[in-house]
Amino acid sequence: MLDTPRIPQPVLTELRAIAGPENLRLADGELAVYARDATPLFHGRPGAVVAPADAEQVARILRLASGHGVPVVPRGAGSNLCAGTVPLAGGIVLSTVRMSRMLEVAPQEMLARAQTGVTTQALNDAAAAHGLFYPPDPGSHTVSTIGGNVATCAGGLRGLKYGVTRNYVLGLTVALPTGEIIRTGGRLWKDVAGYDLTRLLTGSEGTLGVITEVTVALLPQPSTSRTGLAYFDSLTQAGHAVASILAAGVIPSTLEFLDRRCMDAVEQYAHLGLHPNAGALLLFGDDGDEATVARSFERIAAACAGSGAIDVQTAGDITESEALLTARRCTLPALSRLGSLTILEDASVPRPRLAEMVARIDEIAARHRVTMATFGHAGDGNLHPTCVLESAADTEGIARAERAFADVFRTAIELGGTITGEHGVGAAKLPYLEQRLGTEQMALLRRIKTAFDPAGILNPGKLGS
Amino acid sequence: MTDAKVSQAGSIFDPDLLSRCISCGFCLPACPTYGLTGDEASSPRGRITLMRALDSGTLPPDDPTLAEQASFCLGCRACEPVCPAGVQYGELLEQWRGFQWTGRRRPLAVRFLVFAAERARAHRIAGRLRGAARTPASASGPSLMLGCFERSLFPGVSRSALALAPELSVPDRQGCCGALHAHNGEPERGRQLAEQLGAQLPGQIVTTSGGCAAYLAAVIGRDRVAELSEYLRDKPFGEVRIGDRRARVALQDSCHLRNGLGVWREPRALLAAIADYVELPGAGRCCGAAGTYALVRPRDSRRVLDPKLDQIEAAGIDYVVAVNPGCLRQLRQGLRGRKSKVRAVHIADLLRLAAR
Repeated sequence: MLDTPRIPQPVLTELRAIAGPENLRLADGELAVYARDATPLFHGRPGAVVAPADAEQVARILRLASGHGVPVVPRGAGSNLCAGTVPLAGGIVLSTVRMSRMLEVAPQEMLARAQTGVTTQALNDAAAAHGLFYPPDPGSHTVSTIGGNVATCAGGLRGLKYGVTRNYVLGLTVALPTGEIIRTGGRLWKDVAGYDLTRLLTGSEGTLGVITEVTVALLPQPSTSRTGLAYFDSLTQAGHAVASILAAGVIPSTLEFLDRRCMDAVEQYAHLGLHPNAGALLLFGDDGDEATVARSFERIAAACAGSGAIDVQTAGDITESEALLTARRCTLPALSRLGSLTILEDASVPRPRLAEMVARIDEIAARHRVTMATFGHAGDGNLHPTCVLESAADTEGIARAERAFADVFRTAIELGGTITGEHGVGAAKLPYLEQRLGTEQMALLRRIKTAFDPAGILNPGKLGS
Repeated sequence: MTDAKVSQAGSIFDPDLLSRCISCGFCLPACPTYGLTGDEASSPRGRITLMRALDSGTLPPDDPTLAEQASFCLGCRACEPVCPAGVQYGELLEQWRGFQWTGRRRPLAVRFLVFAAERARAHRIAGRLRGAARTPASASGPSLMLGCFERSLFPGVSRSALALAPELSVPDRQGCCGALHAHNGEPERGRQLAEQLGAQLPGQIVTTSGGCAAYLAAVIGRDRVAELSEYLRDKPFGEVRIGDRRARVALQDSCHLRNGLGVWREPRALLAAIADYVELPGAGRCCGAAGTYALVRPRDSRRVLDPKLDQIEAAGIDYVVAVNPGCLRQLRQGLRGRKSKVRAVHIADLLRLAAR
């Protein structure tokens, strides 16, 4: 771990006064656990961890930090995959854990209001109690916070039909680095007063302000939802099936694929009885009324069969569907059963280029002699090629993996895609961002960053730096 | 640094076990102590980060956060079934405490308890006096293990188990299973005791303690060990009635039985057969007894227990059933303290009421 500048004593005294001594952590061991998030290879030790109770306290902390030039890194559950919450420049980690109250579900307006630290699952449970649901469901939804979801514009398994976090954020309460508290948007579906700051802040990765409260749109819970499986010889073939499903005019709620390595890892954890030798699995799901779902399942099954599926199965009941979806969400952590270090990427390409991208990834993995396991949101063209290494100490292997990923990004951009579909830029993807955005846009990003955060204290070394 | 053990840096933990965690955080919602504090350091993921810091020498062995977290952890292993990466947290914790709790770093209450458990002779006498131990071990047949806890606090549990399964032999020469030692900083001694017990009771070992079952199975093999509800699962029972209605009962899982051995369906099936079964919302969460925890950290143990007592009292049940004597003691004391009408019983005693 790098030695980072110490936080001046007067700042610590003031932090203690703002949040209360019991909500400030300064001991070596207490800080060591905030040195990383779910992203491998990125570490940075904070000088303090503080857990404020509300937006007022957050704003005071930010004003204090701006005044002294101390970095502040907002952190929800620390489950992100772009090193977005790693305090690379030291400073203060601002934990949102104490702001975890569900504030309101308004069935007439079909919206919910929550403090930033409420978990995605808790928000969804609260909505479900009113027969409503919050569609974005990132793999980590049991732990991830809604504030973190907004900050990273999290995606998930239902993205194809329902979109991602940005499609549901109606309003935000945000503490600015300069110490003000603003409210963007609100409870309205139509509201064009001013620049769309809600959208700008969604996906801003804690570099422009600290989100303290979120208002999200909800949808009525579909009466039926079902999940099914199709097995193929190869992931490329599964990619062709995806194209043919979409060409048949069906938009399933879920269309996920896993290659053989991922299937093995998931099977070890979940014991679902997956096909023992198929090369790839396509997990599909749809929801709506009974008749619509039945019709779309027929068309999906036909499209899979037409694309050379080895076998097509449709899950019987809700428990089985849930088990399949849960297993899919656990793919990344389950992959660590195959090796001590797993480095995951998040390239995204236009849907028609999916099969081509899959083939190119295979070729890249072979060229760089790395073991690559690929899974992803096939319907969105969003792929998670993952390098599995035997040992975290294998520096030569890590270097090869990094070269392979540089090629993956280059290829994604060449095919009209992007370097990150849903995990975010953070520190992990920053070196590739200019390739994707170009010099002019990068410069504009920095000017926006400066407008919000003139002292440059919020999440330095990340997006906008 | 003067501590001789510092030179062992890098060898405190099994490297394969320690490297498995990828810090995804899927364990956070399952962890009772993280639920209390919201602090990374008291989460499974955070504790593994601390273990790594200890292992690599980034933090010295006498770091106060290391000491605090090694003891604050309940060791309930609720993080294991939810871990897609398959981290064996219980094993890591044993290794951690094996290092952390040596010499003067060992909590005083732990020193006392392990000392008490070592007095196996006293257990033997207690077992004989209270009329549970009686028959010698048959060469290959199943035998009942007289847990240390049952012998001194709940001898009636073993008597009920025998009434339900009279075919079990009960050798009086049997020591401790070693779980207490293994979970409290003496993994080698624990293993040794488990192996001894395995030799003393050569056939299948039936136990009324979920915690002992899980530990013993980990050392001498899963097929050698059966927890009582597992052993009795196919036996027919009558009903437990209160007045003119069936009793309403709920189960409190034993953490290690559930998270370590994956046994949770069996006791539920038995209870549903003899009474009206109610599933408590947090039945699978630790009650705070956690082996020696209730004695080592009484205040934290109560903080874990209190919400559970609220749930038990709100459930409208007659009995809350334990499958581990430590949980039984914890629930019974907690409910008595509240003057609750709900009674905590061991599954052996309740099944005995329903025996035909």
